[in-house]
Amino acid sequence: MNQKPGVCTFCGTGCGHFMNVAGSTVERVFPSLNHPVSQGRLCVRGWNIHELLNTAQTINRPFIKKDGRLSEASYDAAVSLLVERLRGISPAAIGFLASPRSTNEEQFLLMKLARAVFKTNNISLASEAGHRGSLNVLHGGTGMAGMLGSIQEICQAEFILVAGSDITKQNPIIGSEIHKAAQAGAKVVTIDSRRTQMAKLSTTFLHITPGALKLAVAALAKYIFQEGLIDADFIKTATKGFDAFSAVLGKLSESEISARTGIARDEFKAVAEALSRSRTAMVFFSSGISGLDEDTIGYLYNLLAMTGKIGKPGCGVNPVAGLNNLQGGYDMGCAPDLLSGFQPLADQAAVKKFSGAWGVELNTAAGAPIYDLLSKSPSSLKALVVVDHDEGFIRAAEALGKLEFVAYIGAYQNRFMDHADVVLPVGRYIEADGTFTNTDRRVQLAPKKAEPAHAVLPGWKLYTLIAEKAGVKWNYGSPSDIMDEVARLTPAYAGISYKKLASAFGIQWPCNEKHPDGTAHFDIAMAGGSITFARVSGTFDMPETSADFPYRLMIGKAQDFWHKNNLMRKTFIPMREYNATLLDYPEGYVEIAPETAKALQVRNQWQVKVVSPYGELPLAVKISEDVKSDTAYAPYFAQDMIAPLLAGHPEIVQKGEDATIPIRIEKV
Amino acid sequence: MNGIKIVTIPEVATIEEIRDEIRDVKTFYLSLDNKEIDKNFKIKSGQFIMCTVFGAGEFAVSLPPSPENDRFHLTVRKVGSVTNALHELKPGGKLGIRGPFGNGFPFEEIKGKNIIYVAGGIGLIPLRSSIVHVLQHKKEFGRVLMLHGARTPDDLMYKDNLKEWQSFDGFETYITVDVAAPGWTGEVGFVHTLFDKANLPIENTVAFVCGPPVMFNTVIGELMKRGLSDDCIISTLERHMKCGVGKCQHCAIGRTLVCTDGPVYTYRQIKTLGEQI
Amino acid sequence: MYLIKKSDVLNIAKALSAAYQVYGPVVEKVSGQTFFEKVDDISEITLAAPIPAAPPKSVVFPQAERIMSYRYAGGNTPVEIKPDYAETPKALFGLRSCDLTGIQCLDRFFLGQEFVDDVYRHHRKKMFIVTNTCVVPFKYCFCVCTDSGPCADEGYDLNLTDIGDNFFVEAGSAQGEALCKKLNLENASEQHRSEKNACVDKSITLFEEFSTESKAWISRVMNRVTTGFAKEDVWEYVGDQCFECGACSFVCPSCSCFNIADASGGNGSCNRLRTWDSCSYEGYSRMAGGHNPRKPVEDRRNKRFFCKLSYSQSKKYLRPGCVGCGRCNWVCPGDIGLPNVVKYIRRETTSR
Repeated sequence: MNQKPGVCTFCGTGCGHFMNVAGSTVERVFPSLNHPVSQGRLCVRGWNIHELLNTAQTINRPFIKKDGRLSEASYDAAVSLLVERLRGISPAAIGFLASPRSTNEEQFLLMKLARAVFKTNNISLASEAGHRGSLNVLHGGTGMAGMLGSIQEICQAEFILVAGSDITKQNPIIGSEIHKAAQAGAKVVTIDSRRTQMAKLSTTFLHITPGALKLAVAALAKYIFQEGLIDADFIKTATKGFDAFSAVLGKLSESEISARTGIARDEFKAVAEALSRSRTAMVFFSSGISGLDEDTIGYLYNLLAMTGKIGKPGCGVNPVAGLNNLQGGYDMGCAPDLLSGFQPLADQAAVKKFSGAWGVELNTAAGAPIYDLLSKSPSSLKALVVVDHDEGFIRAAEALGKLEFVAYIGAYQNRFMDHADVVLPVGRYIEADGTFTNTDRRVQLAPKKAEPAHAVLPGWKLYTLIAEKAGVKWNYGSPSDIMDEVARLTPAYAGISYKKLASAFGIQWPCNEKHPDGTAHFDIAMAGGSITFARVSGTFDMPETSADFPYRLMIGKAQDFWHKNNLMRKTFIPMREYNATLLDYPEGYVEIAPETAKALQVRNQWQVKVVSPYGELPLAVKISEDVKSDTAYAPYFAQDMIAPLLAGHPEIVQKGEDATIPIRIEKV
Repeated sequence: MNGIKIVTIPEVATIEEIRDEIRDVKTFYLSLDNKEIDKNFKIKSGQFIMCTVFGAGEFAVSLPPSPENDRFHLTVRKVGSVTNALHELKPGGKLGIRGPFGNGFPFEEIKGKNIIYVAGGIGLIPLRSSIVHVLQHKKEFGRVLMLHGARTPDDLMYKDNLKEWQSFDGFETYITVDVAAPGWTGEVGFVHTLFDKANLPIENTVAFVCGPPVMFNTVIGELMKRGLSDDCIISTLERHMKCGVGKCQHCAIGRTLVCTDGPVYTYRQIKTLGEQI
Repeated sequence: MYLIKKSDVLNIAKALSAAYQVYGPVVEKVSGQTFFEKVDDISEITLAAPIPAAPPKSVVFPQAERIMSYRYAGGNTPVEIKPDYAETPKALFGLRSCDLTGIQCLDRFFLGQEFVDDVYRHHRKKMFIVTNTCVVPFKYCFCVCTDSGPCADEGYDLNLTDIGDNFFVEAGSAQGEALCKKLNLENASEQHRSEKNACVDKSITLFEEFSTESKAWISRVMNRVTTGFAKEDVWEYVGDQCFECGACSFVCPSCSCFNIADASGGNGSCNRLRTWDSCSYEGYSRMAGGHNPRKPVEDRRNKRFFCKLSYSQSKKYLRPGCVGCGRCNWVCPGDIGLPNVVKYIRRETTSR
């Protein structure tokens, strides 16, 4: 029997697969039929993951930069140099950029390395804005920093709202589960400014004006309130803070809602009614680098809270992570102000616990997210250790060039290596035991499946070696020991061990004495019987169009390219499929409606100039029925190319998915 | 008549000479390294081969040389990663060849008829083979005409051949561009606008049409309006191909496989395929 | 016709393992999932295991395989090319009837056309096939609708049917007959044959309703698909539900589409890989330069079902392309496994 179980490492769904491995080569991959999340399904990426795992474009040995060129080095020399250089820089000027693709054990050790060995709290995941926003809202409201519902319970939901997420492309198997619920009779409503596949599969599609998502969600809440569709009992017995929220809703003008969202009042009302009448309901939205902003997430959370759809089976506010271990990264404390399990660095008791366990005094001076540090000019950062990152981040290339020292740690070659003074390889995902936490809090063990193709260390051993060179001896015999330490220090993971994980398909945290088998969905009792409404703003700024700039340009939504480009490029079929548009439009594209194309007298692939109040850039035209006539769309993957438009407006980058810019389009 | 067919493992060929044709299009003159195979490597006009650019991959490409007395060559536009790698090669460089594959243009069946070639842009590449072949046997045909259109004078294919053909006795050639450039004294306009001027024969006539989809559809429409029957219009289809021998199925259209049933089809057949051109 | 005691049945596999690499059904312990696997320890085989999750087609047509390797240092240096496939004698032990039918489809397609596929031929050449009758059908099975089960009637060397204490053994070839002789199997009587037939008949009555219901419909739908009478709107409904994952092609015992890619190993060395491909992928028919004659997803879906359910494609296989194993239903993220599509076409379903 040569079938080794594992967890797909592309998106945050956490699908189960089996692999045939011969030596260091993956011969085949097959879905796990009884896996509770994926149940025999994989997407195009998952079915072809062996193409990535078998690529020859791995980093096979350490490198040190000499005279501007990387030359081969031993681990000993490269790690010593890394430690020596970091030692020469003050902790506040050192940063660690953690990867949302690393295992929990690697994340935890990197966090420990940053805080306990190099005494800095400058550690973050690149996706700081999106998923953190989701976790802040959920943690603030319920005390649980993760999806409130469960993928397995989608089939129990009678009403499902998909808000601004191209979910069948980003997390296809979650999209599939929603589709199957719809086939079985659930009411599925998609709110989006583009006609996505999910929109086509929904019972109702609210095709909103770009940038109006927050307002549309607020409108639903308003009609629920106004028409008496709230769950008054639930609000009274199990929530706090509803009055402040209803006051905000009261100020919304109905005429403004319809005018600015492009959706008629009756359509909103019908959806509000369906949500209210259903016994169970869930909302899904994408969460990550191009996810929604915190305020919009607050409205989504409040929408379900006011209808009593939190804390029951088949219910929940469900952020969907685009990357396989983004949730795990936060769980392991890869954020400047958080220790593992969302324990604040500002919490003295928590700090004392970690200090005691690690035998060091932790630095409690707040750190900052790496991207924030890099984008300041002049930057206080002098050295940066980057783990397994897509070169998309090289939008900060200029800032990287100004650093005194850059180290890159990863399994696959990419352009980040050009910026590095030291390159340290780590093994592919199949070369060591490790756990990943998917978007519904499922901690899954992926056991080692292959011998390293080259003499490359697994991540946990590399971090142990770095600590050792820095004079700190960690005594881990295996990744299992690391998880035991995580369990001791992290309440949500208290009951998790490799032994437990090996005999099952993963455990959803919180897993502790009270919930020894994990927790499928949030329960009000977990929050002491009461949840809190999110504080939301009453402002709905949308950049207005004008005669000069008549179209709204949306940016984003092609999240499947984001952060995975570097991996996809090492495959054949996923590259062909995911870079399809990129191959057709190597210089990027702007998607416009057929009416717009007609008015501009342009055809597919013709060059146009997109002009905004902040800048202009040339793009090729892609005509699509999926955007409205007053709308244009440019995907995120063209980040390098749309940078000139975004440069002056970091808040648009921050807003991610829902950002719009008024533009005009000129024929070239 | 049937020569060798290289099916699974490519034979190595050496690039003897490279000529620039138009922007992004080059012609590569080749010979197979195995002289025995080179001698027995016979093509039919209208066939294609699978060409390996070592280190980059394999692609399907139509054969422009005539089956008789013509140097073996390929004319390739750079459009993807493999053809980009091909364009980087220098004379002396090596390629892999499999084939020749496909049905090829009819030759015996069209003897005695009038022949019209209509080529848009690089659509002249797959037609070249047939043109040269038919001219070599000009006496066995009726009127032979060629109408070639390109976007600009710089986009006209096979300029040396065009010159030669324009002075070939009894070969009626018409050349036009969509957009004139300084110094251009020839025709301006889409290729079908020359049909009246050329006084196209219709009776006992076969038309070979090749070019981009928009041009193709317009030309077909004009020819049929003039009474040419759809089974007298012949074209060659391009498809994404991986094997060339009817196995990988990438080129399947309805019930036909372009690699083994095609690539040459009559318009009557193309109409029933139910896919875009 | 022979008999072998249930407790001795793996002796057949053991005997085969002397001359062949044996493949058979093995159950993975934690998940309970059946795989049709290379087996070194014959006792791992569970003959009664449910139909394997993946069809054994990967034995003759692997998901990814190197078919050739070459080395070229550039310029006017020689190119070394070597084909990279070899004949390994293989025994498939405990193959289900649907999966045998799948291999027969592949045989006719890869070996029976104008060109013979050399790579496939090497996999297929020295092979011993032992089929196992499904005396109980599984949840998604509908081989009774596609004339491919529950009992194989040709193409095997040995066919086993569980008739209680014994397996009823039928030899379908000279090498099958020879093995039975070599193992000194007890001769079976006509009585045993009728017991076997009764087991098969009983199995047929145990199929789920959806599959017996589809029985008459498969041929009628084939007629509609062939003649173009399946409605556009139905194809659109099917297309909307396609997640373009490729799973249906990968788990289909008769799907044979492949991609070819040259994977660089550095230093001018390169492997030519042949990997499974799927007509549901957008890039499948896209040409270099971006033109795609088969753009809308419903066109591509339509293509797959045309391939499985049309008379013109059936000519290639001498039978319908679908073998009724039901796997596309297990793995589809949409709701467009083949039996469902048959249902949509017959009911002209265009929306929920």
